[in-house]
Amino acid sequence: MKRRSFIKSIAAVSAVVATVTPAVLMAEEAKKAVPKGPNALSVEAAIDAITGGKGAKESDKVKLTVPEIAENGAVVPVKVNVDYPMEEGNYVKAIHVLAAKNGNSRCVDVMLTPANGKAYFATRIKLGSTQEVIGVAELSDGTFIKAAKSVKVTIGGCG
Amino acid sequence: MAEARKSMIKIKPKKYKAGDIVKVDFIVIHPMDTGLKKDKKTGKVKPAHYIDSITFSFDGKPFTTMKVWETVSTNPYFSVNFKVPGKGKITVDYTDNTGEKNSKSKKLKPKG
Repeated sequence: MKRRSFIKSIAAVSAVVATVTPAVLMAEEAKKAVPKGPNALSVEAAIDAITGGKGAKESDKVKLTVPEIAENGAVVPVKVNVDYPMEEGNYVKAIHVLAAKNGNSRCVDVMLTPANGKAYFATRIKLGSTQEVIGVAELSDGTFIKAAKSVKVTIGGCG
Repeated sequence: MAEARKSMIKIKPKKYKAGDIVKVDFIVIHPMDTGLKKDKKTGKVKPAHYIDSITFSFDGKPFTTMKVWETVSTNPYFSVNFKVPGKGKITVDYTDNTGEKNSKSKKLKPKG
C-alpha cells in the first residue's frame, strides 16, 4: 500500500513539473528577449495610442522600404513613402514608425503638413531581434493605414 | 550642459527651383542611449539619453515636427520632403530627454 501511494505521488509530481516548466521557461525567455526600458510599450498598446483604439487598415498605399536581412541591428534603414496627395485639407497628417518586438515599440512619430509636398520619411532604427517593422500613416480624414515588413536581424542592436 | 553637438542639414538635389520638392536630411552626433546598455569601463548601466523632439521650420514657420524615442539609432538621421516656396532659411531645432537643446540652420537658394 505504501509503495503504491508513493509511486502515485511521484507520478503526480512529475506531471505537474512537466506542465509547469515549459511555461515558466518561456516566460523567462520572453523577459530575456525584451529587456524593459524606461519607455517600454508593446506594439498593440502603441497602435492603440496612435489610432485612439480605431486600429489601422493594411494598405498598399503605404510603401515601407526596409532591408530583408539586417546584419547589424543597431542601424537599420527605414523609408516610408505614402502614395497620397499633399494638398490643403487632403493630406497625410502623420507617419509613425514602429518595431513590433522592441521593448519600446515606438520609434518616431512624424507630423507632416501640406508644405512637405510629398509624404516621405526616412531614418535609421535599432532592432533587438528579428521582427516586423510597421509604418502607420494617419490621413487628414481621420483614417489610418499601415504596412508591415519583417526584418531578419543577425546581431541585435538593443540592450 | 554639453557643448553644441555636431549636426548637419543637407538639401538634395543640390540644384533646385522654387516649387520643386527637395529632400531635407538632418544628421546629428548623439549617443541615443536606451537606458539598457552597460558601460564597458564602469560596469554600470548608462542612463537613457535620447533626442526627444525635433522641429523642422522654414523662416520660423514649422512644417514638420517629430516625436522621437530611444529606438532610433545612434547618430540619428532624419529625412523629410519639402516643397521649396522660394528663398528662405530652414532651421532644425531639437531637444533631448535631459533638456539639452540645439538648433541648426541652412539657407535655401533656389535658382530660376
